[in-house]
Amino acid sequence: MIFITGPLFAGKKQYVRTLGLDPDSPEVACGAQELARTQKDLEALADGLAQKRAVICTEVGGGIVPMDREERLFRERAGRLSVLLAQRAETVVRVWCGLPEILKGEPPC
Amino acid sequence: MFTLIIGGSASGKSRYAESLFGPGTAAPRFYIATMGLFDQECQARAARHKAQRAGRGFETVERCLDLAGLELPKGSQALLEDMGNLVANELYSPGGAGPGTAKAVLAGIDRLTARCGELVVVSNEVFLGGRDYVGDTLHYMKALAEINRAMAARADRAVEVVCGLTVFHKGGAGLCG
Repeated sequence: MIFITGPLFAGKKQYVRTLGLDPDSPEVACGAQELARTQKDLEALADGLAQKRAVICTEVGGGIVPMDREERLFRERAGRLSVLLAQRAETVVRVWCGLPEILKGEPPC
Repeated sequence: MFTLIIGGSASGKSRYAESLFGPGTAAPRFYIATMGLFDQECQARAARHKAQRAGRGFETVERCLDLAGLELPKGSQALLEDMGNLVANELYSPGGAGPGTAKAVLAGIDRLTARCGELVVVSNEVFLGGRDYVGDTLHYMKALAEINRAMAARADRAVEVVCGLTVFHKGGAGLCG
């Protein structure tokens, strides 16, 4: 599995397309951070997502910590999910302003 | 050596910071905790971090304010966590440094770097949520940003942690002593 992260609208899906993958296909999970809102068991969630070809999570933990408790907990859960996905991934890519940076493994192509 | 570590919420920055401290050392080793244990959420966080760093020989020192007044033995190793809380405390709690926060905190950092053979400071990425902030929040962000920049300038290495992985902006990998 290739794990792709980065800020909002940074070009993550576009990057996935350069790998010959369709971000809307079932082999790619887009916006996977949202799954951390509802799914209790993050390890199990990460195990399931690790079966995909690629998983995309938007980085959501880099702003001011929200006053709202639910939002605060969501950001933490999303962060933990990203750590778990990065551990399971063969390759981790962070896309910043459309530029891919390899954080783990070898460039996929 | 002074190592600055910055990451967002639950980015894995604490775990990485702790991993820099190997198992055995003759030097006294301190964990400088800056977060007041105000409520259950804080207490749960503190307990999780404590379990995470168990077995590394840290003595915990609570220091919510006045970093410059902390006396550590010469040659100590210290891990300070985290700067975001210390800055909020200095800015907004009674007895805090208020408008002099950045100066007070950086005097504390200078004091620590003079006393500690190894210093690791964990700070916070809070600058990627847009710029729609005013008042106290904006003041907080400006103070923390100033401190982060000043620490990065002083640090031997500056590391960003992203989903548990490291990006070295200054200096390279390697354990503390």
